Amino acid sequence: MELAKKWIKVTVNGEPRELLIKPNITLLDLLRDYLGLTGAKMACISNSCGACTVILDGMAVKSCSVLAMQAEGSEVLTVEGLAEGDKLHPLQQAFINHAAFQCGFCTPGKLMSAKALLDENPQPTEEELKRDMEGNLCRCTGYKKYIEAIMDVAQHPVKYSAKEG
Amino acid sequence: MREFEYLRMNTLQEACSLLSEYKDEAKVLAGGQSLLTLLKLNMISPSYLIDIKFIPELNYMDFDEKEGLKMGALTTHRTVEKSPLLKEKFTVLPETELVVASVQTRNWGTIGGTLVHADPIGDIAPPLIVLDSRVKLISADGERTVPLAEFFVDFFMTVVEENELLCEIQIPALPAHTGVAYQKFSTIEAGIKIAGAAAMVSLDDGLCKDAKIALSAVAPVPMRALKAEEILKGKPLDDRLIEQAAQAAAAEADPVTDMHATDEYRRELVKVLVKRAAKMALERARAS
Amino acid sequence: MAEYRVVGKGIPRKDGIEKVTGEAKYTFDVTLPGMLYAKILRSVQAHARIVNIDTSEAEKLPGVRAVITGKDTQGMKFGFVDTPRYPAEQPVIAEEKVRFIGESVAAVAAVDEDTANKALDLIEVEYEPIPATFDPEEAMKEGAPQIHGEQVPAPGRKCAWQDWGVARAARSYNPVNNIGAAVNISYGDSEKGFSEADYIRDDTWVIPRTNHACMEPHGAVASYHPLTGHLDLWLSHMGFELKRYWISKTLEIPISKLRVHKTFIGGAFGGKAQVFDHEIIAAFLSRKLGKPVKLILPRDEVFTSTNNSIALKVNVRKGVKKDGTIVAQHVKLISDMGAYRGSVPVCLFLCHSMRDSIYNIPNLTHEGVGVYTNKSTTMAKRGHGSQQMTTAIESQMDWIAEDLGLNPVEFRLKNLRKKGDVLANRDTLNSFGLPDCVKKAVEASNWKEKRGKLGPGHGIGLAVSSMFNGSGYWPFTAGSIVRMNHDGTVTLYMGQAEFGQGPTTTTCQLVAEELGLEVEDVNLIDGDSELCQFDYNNFLSGGMFVSCKACLVAAQDLRQQVLKVAAEMLEEDAEDLNMLERRVYIKEDPEEGVAFDEILRYSIQKHGGDPLIGKGFCKPVPEIEFYPSLSKGSGRWTDAYSFTAAVAEVSVDAETGRTKVEHIWVGDDCGREINPLICEGQLQSQAVMGMGDALFEDVMFSEGRTINANFVDYEIPRAFDIPEITIIDASDPDPNGPFGAKEIGECARAAVIGSIVNAVYDATKVKVDSLPLHPEKIFRGLQEKAKV
Repeated sequence: MELAKKWIKVTVNGEPRELLIKPNITLLDLLRDYLGLTGAKMACISNSCGACTVILDGMAVKSCSVLAMQAEGSEVLTVEGLAEGDKLHPLQQAFINHAAFQCGFCTPGKLMSAKALLDENPQPTEEELKRDMEGNLCRCTGYKKYIEAIMDVAQHPVKYSAKEG
Repeated sequence: MREFEYLRMNTLQEACSLLSEYKDEAKVLAGGQSLLTLLKLNMISPSYLIDIKFIPELNYMDFDEKEGLKMGALTTHRTVEKSPLLKEKFTVLPETELVVASVQTRNWGTIGGTLVHADPIGDIAPPLIVLDSRVKLISADGERTVPLAEFFVDFFMTVVEENELLCEIQIPALPAHTGVAYQKFSTIEAGIKIAGAAAMVSLDDGLCKDAKIALSAVAPVPMRALKAEEILKGKPLDDRLIEQAAQAAAAEADPVTDMHATDEYRRELVKVLVKRAAKMALERARAS
Repeated sequence: MAEYRVVGKGIPRKDGIEKVTGEAKYTFDVTLPGMLYAKILRSVQAHARIVNIDTSEAEKLPGVRAVITGKDTQGMKFGFVDTPRYPAEQPVIAEEKVRFIGESVAAVAAVDEDTANKALDLIEVEYEPIPATFDPEEAMKEGAPQIHGEQVPAPGRKCAWQDWGVARAARSYNPVNNIGAAVNISYGDSEKGFSEADYIRDDTWVIPRTNHACMEPHGAVASYHPLTGHLDLWLSHMGFELKRYWISKTLEIPISKLRVHKTFIGGAFGGKAQVFDHEIIAAFLSRKLGKPVKLILPRDEVFTSTNNSIALKVNVRKGVKKDGTIVAQHVKLISDMGAYRGSVPVCLFLCHSMRDSIYNIPNLTHEGVGVYTNKSTTMAKRGHGSQQMTTAIESQMDWIAEDLGLNPVEFRLKNLRKKGDVLANRDTLNSFGLPDCVKKAVEASNWKEKRGKLGPGHGIGLAVSSMFNGSGYWPFTAGSIVRMNHDGTVTLYMGQAEFGQGPTTTTCQLVAEELGLEVEDVNLIDGDSELCQFDYNNFLSGGMFVSCKACLVAAQDLRQQVLKVAAEMLEEDAEDLNMLERRVYIKEDPEEGVAFDEILRYSIQKHGGDPLIGKGFCKPVPEIEFYPSLSKGSGRWTDAYSFTAAVAEVSVDAETGRTKVEHIWVGDDCGREINPLICEGQLQSQAVMGMGDALFEDVMFSEGRTINANFVDYEIPRAFDIPEITIIDASDPDPNGPFGAKEIGECARAAVIGSIVNAVYDATKVKVDSLPLHPEKIFRGLQEKAKV
């Protein structure tokens, strides 16, 4: 017998949402199945890959490993909320400039990790950056180009904030 | 994930009372960084999930020069990693956190949750053990404190009873001229740990007044290497003595062979890691 | 080298916006109204007869729509190889017995994933275990358990190659001593060659399976329309053509009623080339129920039930003259194939053919067998056979050099083939940048100052590799259409698959260059089997050389048409015209010209409505009708080869045996870099992947069970582990490549692995005979050396 669904209030990409959900779902399920936000991906079931990374109350988390109910009252930012209108976020623009993605499956997760990281530490060293991006697996790029892309944003904030779209 | 009833707790009292009611039908959820994987794989299927993550009473960090540190069980790994207080007072903890899982996991995962999960390859237990930490357990019937060195019982098993919660981690203030260090070995930097060792060295007048060594991933539980500690205590420390202690620690370890390494190799690693950790601890003790 | 406007520029990828905004929809993201979710019950037995399957409880579960077993798919066989000699032998769902842990035994479709999973738990399978065999050399012995009986093609069933026009009918195959594939290639006179050698060396390497570890797990969405009989598919693939063919063949749905829709594809690396049981099952269930069905594999099933790379034991015997001239080589391969052939019959052949373009070896014998074992199947992975052979041969090259006191760089250069060489199968090296790759990588790495001089625990190593540029596979062609749009832009219809490697950008660069356009002026339609042309050339790295070239040829065709109409309009000769910025102008008088949109209008008005459509096609090896013989290696293989020389510098912790790769230099000959940003990405990717292969990647088994089927226990390189990587372009343009270009996606991985192996040897002098170079192996080796 199925247990009663529960109401949850959560703000996603700036929009307050009130949803009736099954309690046994993850934040990733909530985003994908209830809100149709399919940017965050699932590439493992062992809390290893980071493809599901979103920002929860300012922190990068693996949405596959956070129970949806734990997001009650929180603000969630996903890759879909990164661009503002027709203006890409500096990290998105840098990823394009540097060809920092290939297949793109893990890219949304990387962008969210990178955003949380730069919000907290706008001027990371390359070593700090590589360490802080360890939770995001990538098989295509060999990591080099997206580390360069993130460093570029960190080192040239003006260039990217001035950039149109 | 099988179905369960989700119960969000606002107070410690509420949590304790539900826990004594549901006992083994319930699982306690904190950050859930290990628990959710078990739930998703249907390796566990509790009827009730008691969520303590948002109980304000369990999230704090208090330091007193005499009493030492008291840290709520819900302190996240990332808080430990970034804490200026810990960087100053217990440097080894923020250092160790750098190699704990990933930023995302450290952001949501809690120290209490990690200890109760009791994965023998966990990184944070060995440094906490050499720091002589104790953990406070609470239930509807009362509370007790247990030295962390006696907390772990077996693979993924601790002394926590089914009606109990781990609520606090206590670390005594470090004596003067004390150094602590942690070393881990994995094939890749953030890879699965094959062996780990933490060492604490306390000096007095050039002699080793106290020493503690803890090992992980080389026994069913994080363990003290008591014989190795004895070799160091009361003596002037040098490379030769540390080497002896490292040999003793390797002999004390109780590793298994698995897909990642043989038991023999793990013993060899214990020698190397204890040596490196002890040397680093000694340097730090001298510098402090 | 000629300078081009668009070609050779690091233009941002055209798939960027979708990929950085999360808009890119992968198979995993496809949701259709009324969609059901399917799950597969996998065998827990390595080798067992299926006595009974009771699905009654599962069928009763509310929300379950269908439960199927091997009885429902009886007789349906698939395989990567389905030739007259080797009939496809893998059942869609296990029938009378299971042959590996992870094989499909039953499948469920239900209203949601939870219900489907619960239903799996309610299926009772009664097995009668049969003795199993896990080691290929044991499996070959008399008395070993026989995994397959005689493989008799069903009456009237044509093998794939017959469908594709090969005149020979499928024969039955009897795998004696579990041998399911064999190759035997020779030229010259090996015996004579070895008798003339001054020095002979014999080495054996064991190369394990590794996983492709694409970030996107495999999956399929199938939607069958019960009234029209059309089947719509969304798949994670490497080209829709082969999947569509096999689903059509197994389910007997006319291929024209089967459509693969465009999805983004989350990595492939060879591992998504063949059709899989789960794809056929999703389609089968959809047809049975008349509803859309989604089936996404969890990561553990990707490890246990799709495929891993090919495990090989490689024995190389080499005869050399005192001066370092190689005179003979004899290679013996044994592949631990798994329960079905996978791509092993192809790999055994490729092990020879991928290396044949490198060294000039006058007398050569290459033989190998693929042996059935009770393990999961194995498949091509980025370089398909090259890395297994390169590890064995390139390490042996260093050891021979050491034994004979030769400089390993000079020793290699001395034996390299020459540009223009014709191989024994008549493939010609029209381009050959390898000597340059070696020289430039050696120079950039400062090899001379480092080799043997870095001190204990530090080393540097070199290895070289080569790669095909496409090879024949059904439909043996790549087709393309470029049409002119009203505003003078063009739309390109491309058949090849984008799974990260970049053709959606590079193809547009070729077309833009040819037509004087900007890349933004080229709209692209790709990945849809209804809209796009035949193409299956991402297979064996034919993406650039064959598929992209087909697009260039289409653009050339359109160019000629546009110039012809413009010539008429301008009353000039077509040769005197050129095109730029959506207009044709007179070379002598660039101000005079007509815009593309005017040309289009004119053509429609004056030429019976001709809307200017360019057509292009290209065949991997134009001179041959079919694929070459796999077992004898006869016939042409490919029209061009790419080359890599990699140098790696490492440090090894003497106390633990752990290797850290400090720096990798990749000298690569890709003919011409069409897009340097993408080219760098491909080479960095291979440098890092190769590091994983060399040092720690290994799919491990215990009694047939995959024990590290997850990303905790199966580690792949992470951000912190990456070394410095220097990319060096040492391209030799190929006369048949588009603007001279060749492949860049697969060649380098093998050279990187070899270079790390050789660097670790240089640092430790420990001779290892198996990959990966796990720290424990090196540690043991160092201990042994210390004892001596």
